[in-house]
Amino acid sequence: MDKIRVLLIDDEPSLTRMLKLSLEHRGYEVRVENNGAYGLTVARDFLPNLIFLDVIMPDVDGGDVAANIRSDPSLKDVPIVFLTAGVSKETTRVKGNVIGGQTYLAKPISVDEVVRCIEKTLAQGKKKTGTPS
Amino acid sequence: MSVRPQVEPPSPDLKAAETRSRLEAILNLSRDGILVIAKDGTIAGWNRGAEGIYGYPAGAIIGRQLDILVPYDRLHELTEIDRSIQRGGTIQDFETVRLRSDGAPIDVSLSIAPIRDERGHVTGALVIARDITVVQRAIREAAQSSEKLSDRERMLRRALLALRQSHEDAKTTQLQLVQSAKLESIGRLAAGVAHEVKNPLAVILFAIDYLADAIPSPDENAITALKDAREAVTRADSVIRGLLDFSTATELSPTTQDVNEVLRRALQLVRHALTKAHVLAVEDLGDGLPEAMLDRNKIEQVFVNLMINAIDAMPSGGTLILRSRRDRMTEVGREVGVRKTDQFQVGQSIIVVEVEDTGTGIDENVRARLFDPFFTTKPPGKGTGLGLAVCKSIVALHGGTIRIENKAGGEGTRATVVFRSIRSREGRTDG
Repeated sequence: MDKIRVLLIDDEPSLTRMLKLSLEHRGYEVRVENNGAYGLTVARDFLPNLIFLDVIMPDVDGGDVAANIRSDPSLKDVPIVFLTAGVSKETTRVKGNVIGGQTYLAKPISVDEVVRCIEKTLAQGKKKTGTPS
Repeated sequence: MSVRPQVEPPSPDLKAAETRSRLEAILNLSRDGILVIAKDGTIAGWNRGAEGIYGYPAGAIIGRQLDILVPYDRLHELTEIDRSIQRGGTIQDFETVRLRSDGAPIDVSLSIAPIRDERGHVTGALVIARDITVVQRAIREAAQSSEKLSDRERMLRRALLALRQSHEDAKTTQLQLVQSAKLESIGRLAAGVAHEVKNPLAVILFAIDYLADAIPSPDENAITALKDAREAVTRADSVIRGLLDFSTATELSPTTQDVNEVLRRALQLVRHALTKAHVLAVEDLGDGLPEAMLDRNKIEQVFVNLMINAIDAMPSGGTLILRSRRDRMTEVGREVGVRKTDQFQVGQSIIVVEVEDTGTGIDENVRARLFDPFFTTKPPGKGTGLGLAVCKSIVALHGGTIRIENKAGGEGTRATVVFRSIRSREGRTDG
């Protein structure tokens, strides 16, 4: 069975390094991109099952990167989960980690929560498309 | 010679003639009117001064009844004056109104003394009349001026009061602006700090999780170290998130809300904490409450915060009581007035929410600082000291009030939140 592929796009190398190690330890295949501008290129090449995308990055906005990825036919159905350092606890709690139809994870977050988010998001994707990932 | 005063009997004596001449000169030079009134009320003497005041020449008035000079509504004065004179009394400076020959009223001051014969019997009266029309007019004008002055003074006082009020309003607005600017600065700072601190915290947390996964069989010390490190990250994150909540308390998205519904949702969110602390929740929520314009998430945050504080105040268990009711502001108070700028207006329909605990209550010194940012009585790691500061900001943004006090008898604490209601269940607009 193929490993689930997760793409991490975040400008913080130590963060992506640690999360990559943790997720790989838990059996995921992980690719990291620390430059948001290359996010789309890497995604096209890697064809992930899910993308974690930082909201605020130097020179490029996470929202723009997400829009580019979604406009690509080969990536349009890939779920994107935003990682943000700017959303408060109350906002994420009350909104159930979904703001404006988009899933957010507020940093810092435990690896367990990241894994739960991957499983839940992919399960929802399967339900929606009716196809196995 | 127009005066025939019967003050002295005619005398062949030259000295007496001289005296009489002097007396006549005095009478006729006087600007005051000098009248001699006979016992039967007829005018028997009339000097030039009297001619000037009343307008009658002596020839036209002598022998006429005195009442020709008196307005109809003052005729009663004659009886009273006559009675006093007959008793031998004198009248000084009696201010009244008399009539001129052309019918015009004149203000006069009268001094009246009895005239006696050689046996001391009163045979008539001497009247000295002074025209005080000018003086009276001046007095009336002065009184009118004084009244105008009083009116102006009243207006000035009112203007001064309004000015003071405006000044107070301006000061309040300025304070609010300063507060708002402070919050905005804190907000910008918090957002910046959050981003800069949360990323490293995330790295640390991922690293801790990785180490926990990767170390094959960690000893007890390693497990404790990882646990402590994880808790430290959680504490630091809690402060940052509290700061973010505090800074974003300036933005509202109000919609029409049922306060009871928001309270029940908040209660659901603290169910776990209630069970863990062996606290029983009692709902006493009013029926048919009017709705209010509220940012549901933020008000839910306020209620959750108050409930968590109440639960924390009962470590050995107790009862959490939630109350809601509709009410109306009935009298002017600290936050209630009659002006539009007042927080609440008299007669305004309100919704009152109370969150009570059965804990030990709070010390007065603590109570005074409850809403200060970063003030907390909770142990390290349990509270950031921003919860109530955030609550106060949120409630104030809704135009409401929040206060926390010990219950009468010292059995616990009551937090009271007051909101303006917008509409009753029947659809009547209240505010």
